[in-house]
Amino acid sequence: MVKYISKRLLLLVFTLFLVVTATFFLMQVMPGTPFNNPKLTPDMLAQLNKAYGLDLPVWQQYLHYLANAFTGDFGTSFQYQNQSVGMLIGQRLPVSAQLGAQALVVGVIAGLFMGAASARNKNNKIDGTLGIISTLGISVPSFILGIILVYLFGFKWALFPVSGWGDSFSETILPTLALAVSPAAVTTRFVRSEMIEVLSSDYVQLAKAKGLSDKEIVNKHAYRNSMIPVLTLIGPMAANLLTGSVLIENIFSIPGIGQQFVTSIPSKDFPVIMGTTIVYAMMLMVMILITDILTAVVDPRVRLR
Amino acid sequence: MSEVLKVENLHVDFNTYAGKVKAIRDVSFSLEKGETLAIVGESGSGKSVTTKTLMGLNAKNAEISEGSQLLFKGQNLLDLKESEWQKIRGNEIAMIFQDPMTSLDPTMKIGMQIAEPLMKHQKLSKEAALKRALALMEGVGIPAAAEHIDDYPHQWSGGMRQRAVIAIALAADPEILIADEPTTALDVTIQAQILKLMKDIQQQTDNAIIFITHDLGVVAGMADRVAVMYAGKIVEYGTVDEIFFNPQHPYTWGLLNSMPTTDTQSGGLQAIPGTPPDLLEPPKGDAFAARNQYALAIDRQEEPPFFKVSETHYAATWLLDERAPKVTPPIPIQNRWAHWAQLKGNEA
Repeated sequence: MVKYISKRLLLLVFTLFLVVTATFFLMQVMPGTPFNNPKLTPDMLAQLNKAYGLDLPVWQQYLHYLANAFTGDFGTSFQYQNQSVGMLIGQRLPVSAQLGAQALVVGVIAGLFMGAASARNKNNKIDGTLGIISTLGISVPSFILGIILVYLFGFKWALFPVSGWGDSFSETILPTLALAVSPAAVTTRFVRSEMIEVLSSDYVQLAKAKGLSDKEIVNKHAYRNSMIPVLTLIGPMAANLLTGSVLIENIFSIPGIGQQFVTSIPSKDFPVIMGTTIVYAMMLMVMILITDILTAVVDPRVRLR
Repeated sequence: MSEVLKVENLHVDFNTYAGKVKAIRDVSFSLEKGETLAIVGESGSGKSVTTKTLMGLNAKNAEISEGSQLLFKGQNLLDLKESEWQKIRGNEIAMIFQDPMTSLDPTMKIGMQIAEPLMKHQKLSKEAALKRALALMEGVGIPAAAEHIDDYPHQWSGGMRQRAVIAIALAADPEILIADEPTTALDVTIQAQILKLMKDIQQQTDNAIIFITHDLGVVAGMADRVAVMYAGKIVEYGTVDEIFFNPQHPYTWGLLNSMPTTDTQSGGLQAIPGTPPDLLEPPKGDAFAARNQYALAIDRQEEPPFFKVSETHYAATWLLDERAPKVTPPIPIQNRWAHWAQLKGNEA
């Protein structure tokens, strides 16, 4: 196990290196420059380029970046003056990660319950209703749901604050719900189809023949077996949620990293693009590693080598 | 001998989009303590539906007609609520499933799977149940059971897994053990081991076994009595010797002729022509008439009642009616009859 994890971590570093390299050179292909204020004179531009090292040949820039990144220096944002990328991400990532983690927990737990309820009531009214709910949850964009939630719970019934972050837990409730709907819906559909298959398996028949009740069968046999494929779904889902959502963060005025992700690209804020890409890639790989480990824990047939 | 189970006038229909499939059409039999009753017949004859009905495990679209009775310890199982069924299943009536490769939960330790019915029915603690599970594993011949109690199913071979499935069925010491083709999925040498194991266990526990199979070779070695099923009905039943050496129903003849024996000469195996009838609309008269070269005119008109051959042997064929013409069965059956006459002669 330890050997397996260290092997995977090594692989992770190597993959990260590839991601950094690919992103770095792709950025250079983008037309335009980070400094496109029409008031800048050519002299001032040259000065700026020199200050940020953009006058050097690309391969030198690349080596510099690598060397600095290795020592933990990811550069300074072009867009937000004097803010180091490390600081920017360090301040904003925890906010997005908290929101994402809350949404992940709520979404996956709701999905597990609704999926199992759907499967156990296959083709009757409960299944039909949950089917409609999960289809809506997948097809309605989260920002529309966010706006509806704000209107109902924030404005009409005034139960929760409609925006802000960091003052109280109640501020996090509406964005968490808005963000959790889609993962809940996806998980519901996945768990439903898995569990329907498991419930018709021979070993569930045998469990029935042992005299177990339906509830015992679902809890002791069906959940565990349905979870195996569901885990593969949750890994990338977690990476996505933990790295922030532009729309939700905008609607609820949350100082998360999601916005950085997007605005850094059109403004060609190279250091921030690199930094957020690294964060995202790392998050994804770590989550996939965790799901692989969890899969081995749940399914004894999987051996990690 | 005491009777543990009496099935009377069992009718099971399945409601499908195409209509009502009459899967079990008036089946009656009884089961004595310590005996093995084999139910034989080809696929679709209703063997498995019969056993599922005995376990209360039929699909939701099954409909059991009123007047059907499953008497177990004086109570009609068909009146039970689901929660009462759960006290019977795995406790008083247990089942051995067909395919050991898919019958065990792949994510649960085998010892735990054997302990589960004990915790449920005998309210044993986990430790006590696992201790008993270990004894059961030893009882079904799993070598070094203590080392393997925490194994998962994928670590075991098919034969070993079937032993575990048997241990699960035996866990709560059931009165009736239903074995639904328990050796079909195993290779022949393992089959023999598993059959011997079941025989040995029966001698120790004196439980009754209902053995479902389409393999007559297995029946000969296992069963005390045999019921032959066709198209949702029992067409002939008797002791194992009566069925093998004095068969009366043309369908039983067909089954026996399609089974190889040591005397079978090359080209001697006879298949039964045709296919079983559609049970959406069972044919009028004898369901086997269309495939039966010995069918009489009345077979297509009226269903034959059971004719008594001996105290223990009955067959539902018009050939046994005193007005029926005497027919000559196929030569292998004549040989069997000759053997039977010899047996009877020796007894006398």
